[in-house]
Amino acid sequence: MIHRNLLGIGATFVVALGVVGLTFSASVEDPADFRFINGTEPKSLDPQIVTGQPEGRIADAIFEGLTYREPSSLRPVPGAAESWVISEDQTVYTFTMRPDAVWSDGTPVTAHDFAWTWRRLQEPALGAEYAYILHMVKGAEIYNTYAAAASALEGPIATALATLRADHVAGVDADAWQTFVATEHVNDYVKGTKNALLLRVISQREGSLDAALLEQVADALAAEATRRRTAHAYSVQHFGIDEGVFARDDTTLVVELIAPTPYFLELTAFYPTYPSPRHIVEAEGNAQNWFLPGKIVTNGPFLLESWKVNDRIRLRKSATYWGRDDIHVEVVDAYSIENATTSLNLYLTGAVDWVPATYPVDLVDTLKKRPDFYKNPGMVVYYYRFNTSRPPFDDVRVRQAVCLSIDRKLIVEEVLGLGQLPATHFVPPGLAGYEPPNSELPATLDLERAGELLAEAGYPGGKGFPKISILFNTSESHKKIAEVIADQLRRNLGLPVEAHNQEWQAYQDSTRLLKYDIARAGWIGDYLDPNTFLDLWVTNGGNNQTGWGSPVYDRLIQAAGEVGAFVRDPDALVAKLREPDRARAILADVAASTDQAQRIAAEGRLRMHLFREAEAILVQDEFPVMPIYFYVVSGLVAPHVQGFYSELTDAEGNKSANLQDLHPVRGISLRAATSSGGDR
Amino acid sequence: MTSSATVVPTAEKGTSLGADAWRRLKRNRVALAGGIALVLIVTACFVLPVLLGMDPETTDPTRKNLPPSLQHFFGTDTLGRDYLARVLVGGQTSLLVGLAATAAVVIVGVLYGAVAGYYGGRVDEILMRFVDFLYGIPYMFLVILVMLMFSDTERGNPIPVFFALGLVQWLAMARIVRGQVLTLREREFVLAARVTGAGDMRIIVRHILPNVLGIVVIYATLTVPAVIILESFLSFLGLGVKLSWGQLVAEGVSVVNPIDSYWWLLFWPSVLLALTLFSLNFLGDGLRDALDPRTRR
Amino acid sequence: MNESRFAGAQWMAIGVAVLTLVIGLAIGWREAAVIGLGTGFIAGTAWWSAAMVRVGGSLMLAGVVWIFAAPNLGPGAAALVVTGVAALTWKFLPTRVQRRVCFMLPSLVMLIFVTSMLMYMAPGNPFAQEKVASPQVEEALRKLYGVPRDPTEFFIIYMKRLVLEGSLGPAIKVQGRTVQDLLMPALPVSISLGLLALILACGIGLVLGIRAGLKPNSAADYSSMALAMVGISLPNFVIGAGLMIVFSLSLGWLPVAGWGGYPHLILPALTLALPYAAYIARLARGGTIEVMQQDFVRTARAKGLSESTIIVKHALKGAILPVVSFLGPAAAGILTGSFVVETLFGIPGMGQWFVKGAINRDYSVVLGTAIIYCTLVTAFNLFVDLAYAWLDPRIREER
Repeated sequence: MIHRNLLGIGATFVVALGVVGLTFSASVEDPADFRFINGTEPKSLDPQIVTGQPEGRIADAIFEGLTYREPSSLRPVPGAAESWVISEDQTVYTFTMRPDAVWSDGTPVTAHDFAWTWRRLQEPALGAEYAYILHMVKGAEIYNTYAAAASALEGPIATALATLRADHVAGVDADAWQTFVATEHVNDYVKGTKNALLLRVISQREGSLDAALLEQVADALAAEATRRRTAHAYSVQHFGIDEGVFARDDTTLVVELIAPTPYFLELTAFYPTYPSPRHIVEAEGNAQNWFLPGKIVTNGPFLLESWKVNDRIRLRKSATYWGRDDIHVEVVDAYSIENATTSLNLYLTGAVDWVPATYPVDLVDTLKKRPDFYKNPGMVVYYYRFNTSRPPFDDVRVRQAVCLSIDRKLIVEEVLGLGQLPATHFVPPGLAGYEPPNSELPATLDLERAGELLAEAGYPGGKGFPKISILFNTSESHKKIAEVIADQLRRNLGLPVEAHNQEWQAYQDSTRLLKYDIARAGWIGDYLDPNTFLDLWVTNGGNNQTGWGSPVYDRLIQAAGEVGAFVRDPDALVAKLREPDRARAILADVAASTDQAQRIAAEGRLRMHLFREAEAILVQDEFPVMPIYFYVVSGLVAPHVQGFYSELTDAEGNKSANLQDLHPVRGISLRAATSSGGDR
Repeated sequence: MTSSATVVPTAEKGTSLGADAWRRLKRNRVALAGGIALVLIVTACFVLPVLLGMDPETTDPTRKNLPPSLQHFFGTDTLGRDYLARVLVGGQTSLLVGLAATAAVVIVGVLYGAVAGYYGGRVDEILMRFVDFLYGIPYMFLVILVMLMFSDTERGNPIPVFFALGLVQWLAMARIVRGQVLTLREREFVLAARVTGAGDMRIIVRHILPNVLGIVVIYATLTVPAVIILESFLSFLGLGVKLSWGQLVAEGVSVVNPIDSYWWLLFWPSVLLALTLFSLNFLGDGLRDALDPRTRR
Repeated sequence: MNESRFAGAQWMAIGVAVLTLVIGLAIGWREAAVIGLGTGFIAGTAWWSAAMVRVGGSLMLAGVVWIFAAPNLGPGAAALVVTGVAALTWKFLPTRVQRRVCFMLPSLVMLIFVTSMLMYMAPGNPFAQEKVASPQVEEALRKLYGVPRDPTEFFIIYMKRLVLEGSLGPAIKVQGRTVQDLLMPALPVSISLGLLALILACGIGLVLGIRAGLKPNSAADYSSMALAMVGISLPNFVIGAGLMIVFSLSLGWLPVAGWGGYPHLILPALTLALPYAAYIARLARGGTIEVMQQDFVRTARAKGLSESTIIVKHALKGAILPVVSFLGPAAAGILTGSFVVETLFGIPGMGQWFVKGAINRDYSVVLGTAIIYCTLVTAFNLFVDLAYAWLDPRIREER
């Protein structure tokens, strides 16, 4: 009996160990040359689909756009395109393709690949989040959005409007009207319309709309739908074929823009515009799996060698890349690790060479003293939203009082401690040409004024104030800030505030459905322009999520988007500006400009002024959001890693900050004869 | 089962049984120490913060990360809050979660186990299969699902946590009770009750349940720590709701590192957590020995 | 003592009825009906006769084989295989096992249904992105991935895909892969980690437990038990972090995290094993004490047998029996409870998937992990039961 026991147990153990051993025998790999923590698991590697930094780092390494970012300056330099010519009015770019640019299967990269890919980015069925970044290309937005808009206008919106009219024969008050506009996303579907009536009523928030006006609106919407359908039908025939972006021949790509876009070349080095291999994507039947290892074909400096989900992505230097002689690392491992402690520990033991940002925030005081720690300002604003759709934050005085009662300076210096800037504006500093307006928001406290405002709003000393919560999505750093702010509001204003976390999905639901009082948020600029920050707050905009809206604000953002149109008829809006004289002076410059370049420059300044006026509404009168601080991006990089720039140097030798925190793998080289990076 | 167990279920003998067990428990110094420690911890967590007006919320970032001193016995945390206050108030949540979830476990587990064990046969078979099946579902998965279901409540509400944690712990209780009942139902006093015409319900409530009480109490003392640990996993995964030991420990883990460590942020909640669980375990063991007639010598 | 085969069934009927009522009031009557009928059917299998069980079990197993064979082998070969499986299981599989099959498979279907409902009740959905997508895009994605807005419809689509294609569906948050593509590489990782942890837990637990049990209330007893208590009293992410700090960061002996070689396995397996080792130690201690008090051990001692012989021949046996019955739940815990360890050590196993799946609301991933775990653990429990019956003949007779 006992021998049988021992035998059985022994056999079980041996079998178990055997299983363990077998699973391992196949999985051991050689070490990589350069290893870094890539954060979240990439969702996809289809350049038109992906969003987010982890995906972007890989896409930048395996694909190449018309240009790529030179690592030390991040300026676009010739990539798949060898050279280009820009027309005098800066709206037509003609690229000449590089003759030795090939896909990793040997097929040449042609202008047709780019024309097809850029049309693919706008394909409505693909649902690409970043489609909008090329909407300045002629016909792109029409191809991308007009069909859906026309269907919505003819379908659900027309039906809902008919119901609204039937229910309110005598006319609709502005509140009910705005509810209709918001729930039916009318804004999104008439975006860019020239119809003055529609523009006016959509931001109407006062008074009421009578039956006759509503009938006109219904007609205007129907006309808008027809216009969109026609335009879309035209773009299907032409966009990407002989209009907007098209290949004149295999080596010549022509891009036509609606308006001059100073940052257009930068976009050609941004992953949504990278070419997808048409011959592979179509061979896989457009299924979303052509980018898996074994199938994928790329044109960048690295190849995707393997992709182990939740473990790592392995890249290997491409032997077919035209610039292969300038690539200095052979094998790169990108680890999909989210846990901050684990990331830091891997770095400290020399198992990885680069840790971008994912280290325990509480250790920052120690880490920032290390020589291998780097930091640079980021183009990111950290802010709190107010839910302006219900009490108590429907009252602007309450919002302002709260904005005045948090000590931003204390937060950045003592809680964050990396040299973050207290945010008294919404648009981060450092955007070329943009001069922010004055702000009513102090860096520290203005408790006297806050107390007055709160008393005026009917809550003297916080008496009678309802219990409110600060909602944040689960994260160590958000939690710290929320708890400090809750405590400051509690002590400074006597408000009953509680910090409350939800995991990401629930948090998104809550903010979208306006089920919160105050909610944490952050916004990363998509491009170096105030618009990426300020167009968030147009009435009912998808990312607004505060319930706030202002007709003047909406018109300012719209005017900035179409400066040409604004210049032709500026008076109505200029009358509403805070600094009309300044606007008039720039308008005079525009009128006085003698050549194209001067005019473009003056219009650019006018555009910046409109943004300044718009931001003034946010930080001087309305306070729908409470900016808290501007990010500093930071991380740890081993000393033997070369070609890593947290400060950029352009061709003229000017220094600037690496605002977008881009560190292309293609620029990395390793100092020889160093065995392991981090010290203990 | 051996036939040496001689639990007799009449009322007056029941008290003498209790007294007997109490006497033996008092002799078990380890268990007694566990009980006393437990009382002290509970008192400290629930009474001290109120009595001394401690405030676990007031931040002072200029006094952050201070090691233990006379001003702050447990030091301060990363926002300069008094860590002693936080640990004690966190204990309230942890202990409450542990007790509330255990109460749920006891009710569900005992009922389920008693029905399965008393009727036996097919009913038992299927009920226990079901328990086995639920064992196969990752418990954390159930907890996470329940937590997510309730996660849109606008303010942190700990009730879903009780519910979710209780949901996965009753299985073992049901198994244990069922095992006991299975042997009890064959005993003379049950047969006697049956002969006198008592209904099933009455037999279960009056004769069987009092006899499984001992093991239920023992197992309950072991459930409380299990629930507290489970709650700490939730905090580790970022699904925790309230200030609790689990949350403090999860946060503390990230600030202990050879390059720099605010060790007290991990040390204090861990010590209190471990102390509580130690005490509960020793008390549970002591209770088991005291209530198990076979150890009487 | 059972007057009737149906004694107690009334309680189960009441239970099912109450469940149905509660779900009907809280969620909807359609869902309640499905759950009521489903649990009723599953409970009913207890009263199936042996013959019914044999036929039903064989058919169900054959069905499962068909689901996975048909897409891979083609219908002809699959039919052949399935017939073979049905015949063989009908002939040779013990009724006890068949009965489990009859219970398990309908229960798995119920699990899928209930889980779908729970997932849909949680706020958020798999298509929510940080930047709001247009409703058209969301509708298109919902169609593409087979995730309609109604949980029952989702359940039907999911089951259809599972039965007809043998597929666990497309993953949503990691595109281009099906759920089985994701889980198949993760499964051996979790199993090997779990098995090693189980071996360590048994080894450590038995040594500590027997050592303590041989001399109760001695210093050896207290020190062993105190060591075991540490394993129970601290969450294993604390233990894991401690091991990391000592063995990786300070001593530099083992890799701190990651996956790729045998050394990567040691710390996570140890972390996972310690709480279970502690339980096993306590069980083994109790078992040893009990067996050492038995008369035959005293006799053996009196006969002058050496202490080591006594330990191997008697103490070990006494220690192992209670441990074996704990192995079922322990294995379930170790295999399913590895998510914390996997997160802490950056290991690409299954545990990460059901946490990530739930947090991302990636419905198919959630269901896939639940199905695989449940099957695995049930199979393991069955194996343990059979082993127990083999080790302890008394159990065999009782069944």
